[in-house]
Amino acid sequence: MLEDEIGRLELNSPPSNKMTMEFFREFATALDYINSHKEFRALIINGHGRHYSSGADLPSLLEEIHEKAGTDKNGRLTNVPEFLSNNYKSLLLLESFRIPVISAIRGVCLGSALELALFSHFRLCGEDSVIGLPEASFNLVPGLGGIYKLCCIAGEVTALERVLKGSTFTAEDAYRYRIVDKIVPKRQLIEQASGFAREVMTDFRVEKRSLYIKKYL
Amino acid sequence: METINKISWEIKGDIGIITLDNPPENYLVQPEFVPLEILRKWTSYDYLKGIIICGAGKHFSGGGKLENLFKMIRNKEDIAEKIDKGKEVLDHLENLDIPVVAAIQGICFGGGLEVALASHIRVCSANSLFAFPEINQGVLPGLGGSVRCQGRTGFPGALKLIMSGDMINAEDALELHLVDFITARQKVFDFTLSFLQKLTRDRPLSVINAVMKALKNARSLSIQEAMKEETRMFCELALSEARRRNGS
Repeated sequence: MLEDEIGRLELNSPPSNKMTMEFFREFATALDYINSHKEFRALIINGHGRHYSSGADLPSLLEEIHEKAGTDKNGRLTNVPEFLSNNYKSLLLLESFRIPVISAIRGVCLGSALELALFSHFRLCGEDSVIGLPEASFNLVPGLGGIYKLCCIAGEVTALERVLKGSTFTAEDAYRYRIVDKIVPKRQLIEQASGFAREVMTDFRVEKRSLYIKKYL
Repeated sequence: METINKISWEIKGDIGIITLDNPPENYLVQPEFVPLEILRKWTSYDYLKGIIICGAGKHFSGGGKLENLFKMIRNKEDIAEKIDKGKEVLDHLENLDIPVVAAIQGICFGGGLEVALASHIRVCSANSLFAFPEINQGVLPGLGGSVRCQGRTGFPGALKLIMSGDMINAEDALELHLVDFITARQKVFDFTLSFLQKLTRDRPLSVINAVMKALKNARSLSIQEAMKEETRMFCELALSEARRRNGS
């Protein structure tokens, strides 16, 4: 969706906008499209309805990995399935965009959804959002660079604590950890994200991130 | 309990405890801290989920005694080799795949602070004091402390601490990100033990190891390499979780 040069990428499988295999395929296609169409000057990522996203659809993801992972005769992993590598490469591509990418978070933003948000250049967050990387409670770890990003943004100790605990946290905690750049009233989330996008897109350079936050948020 | 170089080791449940055990100030008797092979042996138990480093009595550690170091040099002992070994020992601690937490109270100076900085998390009591006093004797932190300090506090903080040799208190240390948590006096060990137990209790070692490896990769690899590795570790765990759910 394109409004006044600002692209809107909406996670749209209500109620919780789970990131299914199909989502990741469409996401990769959408990124290629945006990347090759110069009329986009900013990108906002948000979830349809009340939530950003509750993250990956775990049962189908586990099944798919079980089916597609290459293993040796002892059952040890030898090859990561291509679709998984493609998913993290999509996030790297998103981060490399020359246009500002803004995640507008509200409701739940968990697991892979938080990873998606962490690879955006900016994060605006509605009040009362529920945020976290709960993978460890399912005997897993974040697998799309979530640990790496959290470590860079919030520091090693916060990353260690949040990932191992796996419990969710509030928008205020997220702001304190520098995971989100601003907390805004829920109803103004998209409007504020668009306003911010319009300011930043005129001369966006990722290395000036903190300057834009100070100036426009 | 085992003791070497006035440093002792014991295990409580699934947490290993290294105690700097040379009261009152728990001076480190050797620049190399604990011999690497001993530390490797201590930390090799495959059921350990975390390690605490603390001091016996009121203090964490006053560091190494520089007079001893100068005496060793006069006796033509190979100090450079000992210091290199000390660096290897602290690298080993920092690179462990389980969380290492320093529980600090009282003084935490010089080599003591370098040990604390090689831990993944630093908890201190409200009455703690921190300093790199080496500059007063014309030397520098020798066990990688200046590099690690900069990693935690940023360049200006490290410069001030190392160049001035001045002492700072717990609150200033928290502000500088030299420490991560402050507790009430006398409570630091109990807080640290319960913090570490809560963090690791419900987690299999495979998950703890993967998280620690991913954090290490974030320190040392490029983003592309670190993400590739993170996805691989996720995939390994997902594979065993899928098998567990399928009952195979």
